Amino acid sequence: MQIAFWIISVVTVLGAVLAVTLRNLVHCVLALILFFIGIAGHYFLLRADFFAAVQILIYVGAVAVLILFAIMLTRNVTGTEGPREVLGGKWWAGASTAAIIAGLLFVVIRRDQLASMLPAGEAKSSVAEIGKLLVADWVVPFEAMAVLLTAALIGAVVIALEEVMKRR
Amino acid sequence: MNVPLNYYLFLAALLFAIGLCGALTRKNAIIVLVAIEIMFNAGILNLIAFWHYKTFGTMTGQMFAIFAIAIAAAESTIGLALVIAVYRHYKSVDVDEMKSLKG
Repeated sequence: MQIAFWIISVVTVLGAVLAVTLRNLVHCVLALILFFIGIAGHYFLLRADFFAAVQILIYVGAVAVLILFAIMLTRNVTGTEGPREVLGGKWWAGASTAAIIAGLLFVVIRRDQLASMLPAGEAKSSVAEIGKLLVADWVVPFEAMAVLLTAALIGAVVIALEEVMKRR
Repeated sequence: MNVPLNYYLFLAALLFAIGLCGALTRKNAIIVLVAIEIMFNAGILNLIAFWHYKTFGTMTGQMFAIFAIAIAAAESTIGLALVIAVYRHYKSVDVDEMKSLKG
């Protein structure tokens, strides 16, 4: 269990680091897919099988392809830019902010006594139970989420088609 | 046999910091969205880890994770549509060049 955790963690962190540092945008998305698969492996280790499947279906299947389409629609993929082209202005301010926040998070987690606990029992998770809860106890947030996703879908189409509609 | 909860919290904090660093330093708006996805996933990993270690037997933690994933999907859809709209207007997706509102 320990060794599996370390292997998957190394894969996940490697994917995340490569996704934000590589120059070629398509390579960035491939590293992001590696990161998503690592997170799915963590969900398997945590006995959340449904979420591992959802992670691969939604993130690897849909979000990564969506980002690839956005890259193809917006620019030519050369990957031959220098470092000044990749990093924005005042990048050192952003990097130091991220480092300070990481330090704060680490200090807080180290100080928390409860956080070092082990699971007291076997976690059970079943897709059938999730489905029952979604239409019973959690039906109002579930419907709100349906409205949100519909609004996001319509909004995305309207935002992306704005110029085309103006031209007519 | 199992790793303590601490390890997952440290991992999620590290991933969140990596995503934050990418979102604040990169120039391309699409990579900024990629970094925001990494931050979202670090947060959802925290939810699942707390569910596994603290509230096994109930499903509340998993429900929160489901809604977080749905919101993340809506966010990435709208974000990429905005990037494409901005590209139509400026012919560029560099966040440094989007400064029409700068005083």
